[in-house]
Amino acid sequence: MATPADKRHIAVPTATLAIIAAVLTVGLVTFANLTRDRIARNQQVWIKQHLDALVPPQSYDNDPLVDTTEVTAPDLLGTTTPVTAYRMRKAGLPVAVAIRSIAPDGYRGPLELLVAIAPGGQLLGVQVIRHDETPGLGDAFENRDAGWLDKFRGLSLTKPPQQRWTVRRDGGDFDAFTGATITPRAIVKAVRRTLEFYQGNEDRLYRDGQPR
Amino acid sequence: MSTPSPTNSSQGLSVRPGAGSNLPPPPARNRAFGSTLQLLALCPLLAVSDTVVKALGFSVLVLVIFPLATLLFSGVRRWLDDAIVLPASLLVTAGLVTAAELFMRAWFHDLGAWFGVFLPLLAVNIVVIDHIQTSDLDRRTALIRSVRIALGIALTLIALGLARELVGRGSLLSGAATLFGSWGERLEIKVFSVDMGFLLAMLPPGAFISLGLLIAARNWWRGRNQRVI
Repeated sequence: MATPADKRHIAVPTATLAIIAAVLTVGLVTFANLTRDRIARNQQVWIKQHLDALVPPQSYDNDPLVDTTEVTAPDLLGTTTPVTAYRMRKAGLPVAVAIRSIAPDGYRGPLELLVAIAPGGQLLGVQVIRHDETPGLGDAFENRDAGWLDKFRGLSLTKPPQQRWTVRRDGGDFDAFTGATITPRAIVKAVRRTLEFYQGNEDRLYRDGQPR
Repeated sequence: MSTPSPTNSSQGLSVRPGAGSNLPPPPARNRAFGSTLQLLALCPLLAVSDTVVKALGFSVLVLVIFPLATLLFSGVRRWLDDAIVLPASLLVTAGLVTAAELFMRAWFHDLGAWFGVFLPLLAVNIVVIDHIQTSDLDRRTALIRSVRIALGIALTLIALGLARELVGRGSLLSGAATLFGSWGERLEIKVFSVDMGFLLAMLPPGAFISLGLLIAARNWWRGRNQRVI
């Protein structure tokens, strides 16, 4: 049977830990509240920079950071979690959708892409917004081969035809970077799949969750 | 023999009780493990030493968080039962590191994104080092010691950052804008132009090789000095 001393021996440290945890929680929640707006703004600025690189801001008159919808398609968008799509419109008419799809099979883990598509399914451009590829090799699209991502502009599901929608080594139309095949292959595949998703969901992408 | 030989000196990588130090020597049981464990605790941090800017930013965080953790913890230490010292110190450091992560996301968004998982991992390093080094010291001594260890870590990181960025990319302070704001762009120095750089220096093995060289240099330096004296 537990003596009162035993009980105290357990209760006091437990209570102490609980108090420390409670004090820390209060402190962290307060700090999280103080920084929340700033962090949200940083995220918006960050994504806006990438959007602006894909679609000129003067070509639409809505706020794509607010006019968003979440879509889920594990097979085509590379992730089981919902993916954000930013909608750009002018006078209510669709101008572009930018989908944050995932290339799951990068060399060192998934890459997050921003794929901008015009109505009809033509690519406006692709940005890699998050990646962990090998510095100096797999990240060539950032510096060494900076024009590589531009080559996606103007392409669509039929241009080039499906069997050539891959890197040159696999018989396709896309160059790989020197020393890295896996990264470009992953990006090309993910862009192609994002286009496939778009083709089957174009109406829904522009319509869903629209403010009335 | 009054001087400790380099192999079993107590303070590991960077901090050593120099001449005129008023620190008491750490308890004997800690000596054998202290330096090895400090070395091991440093390993996860090596990931942020591939450029000078990352190393600098992380050093500042270490210099703030480590002494703060010691200070906070030595404040509550006397209320704690021995059984919960470890979980309690883990809680305190994890809380501090979480706050630091929020801070980075709010004010140094891009730099914070580079740190990724290694900022939370700092909590483990601090707990490990703190537990060995300062568990039975009074507050002042513990604080001084943790500042010295943090300084040692910071200097190691910056030295590695300088060496790895210079060899790997031929530049110094690339990405300075993420730390100093837009005027930081002017700080970037291109020492020589390379197409792909010396890749090994940028990759994780490069960090270990550089660290090994750094420790070898330190041991050589210390051994030489002792012979002179």
